[in-house]
Amino acid sequence: MLTAAQRCSVHDQRPAFARCMSCTKTLCQECATQWDGIWHCAQCLAAKRGPKRERSPVFAWIGVVTASLFLLYAGARVMVWTGAVIAGLF
Amino acid sequence: MIRAPLSTTSVLDEAADVVSLTAAPWAGLLMATSLPYRFLQALFLDQLIEVGADAARYGNLLGATANMTVLTIVLAFWGRAVYARACRIAASRGTTPGRETWRVPAAALASYILTASAATLLGYVALFTIAGFVVAVLVAGLAVGTLELNERVSLTRPFALIVRYSNRLGTLFALLFVLFCGAVVALVNLATAFQIGTWLAGAVAGFDAPKWQLLFTPGNRRFALMLAAGALVLVEPFWIAAHVVYVRKAGAEESGDDLRAWFEELRGAA
Repeated sequence: MLTAAQRCSVHDQRPAFARCMSCTKTLCQECATQWDGIWHCAQCLAAKRGPKRERSPVFAWIGVVTASLFLLYAGARVMVWTGAVIAGLF
Repeated sequence: MIRAPLSTTSVLDEAADVVSLTAAPWAGLLMATSLPYRFLQALFLDQLIEVGADAARYGNLLGATANMTVLTIVLAFWGRAVYARACRIAASRGTTPGRETWRVPAAALASYILTASAATLLGYVALFTIAGFVVAVLVAGLAVGTLELNERVSLTRPFALIVRYSNRLGTLFALLFVLFCGAVVALVNLATAFQIGTWLAGAVAGFDAPKWQLLFTPGNRRFALMLAAGALVLVEPFWIAAHVVYVRKAGAEESGDDLRAWFEELRGAA
């Protein structure tokens, strides 16, 4: 619960508006950011987001090449199987 | 340049222009890369008809032809990817594409090989059910139409793009029907061209015209299969161009580019 006497931990002259839910610092309106309904200070928010992790394209390439080879192999097998079944019908 | 709203006629109209712009040398490249695949498909069908109900006993023979067919399909996929890029460049610039057409992005090509392989497998699995086969052809068309939208390699995104652009099913089915009719017309034209060719060659001294006329008849199974393969090769440039134009138009409709182009045209006319 914030009292009127509490001040922003960054700007001493400003009254506290919210409390960071991670580091419990008191924050003024400018310093507080609401994310997903929860107040955060700039540092904690930056730490939460972290650097955007890019997935290595190598794994995607391996996956796509493997899947393509499997599909092509299965295509050849199914081609023979379907052909034999259809030929057997006549 | 998006000239008209998305409809079957507007797609076919623009696809015809795109094919005329890409005829030389890109349509030639597409046909050259498709020929081995279509020839082996015809050979596979010929062997299948030859062995008939005993096909199960000739697994090795049929399997060897099927393996070669699948190897040549990769070459055909590359040819289609290059031609789809040529169509995209021709449709956006309105000029014959240059050497940049060769530079198909690796991610787009890999994504296309993945989706086209899946469509081919689906086609063979669903061969019994005509509806399933038609769906496989639709998926293959959208795969070639959306291939250049794949900027990164992904297992799921190419399929998500196909699903996203399959919302105009009526237009897609209509395109498929028109192209099917086109293949039938191409088949009749090819057969006639062979007849006229052998008739004209009969005037050349030493040419055994009756022997060739006997071979070039629809009654000859191998000739009929080769004609069907030839008709598919002839229609393929239109099939690819139509799907590239369709995806461009559908994308422009989503982003509002078609309306922007229409307003500019109206302003220019006023």
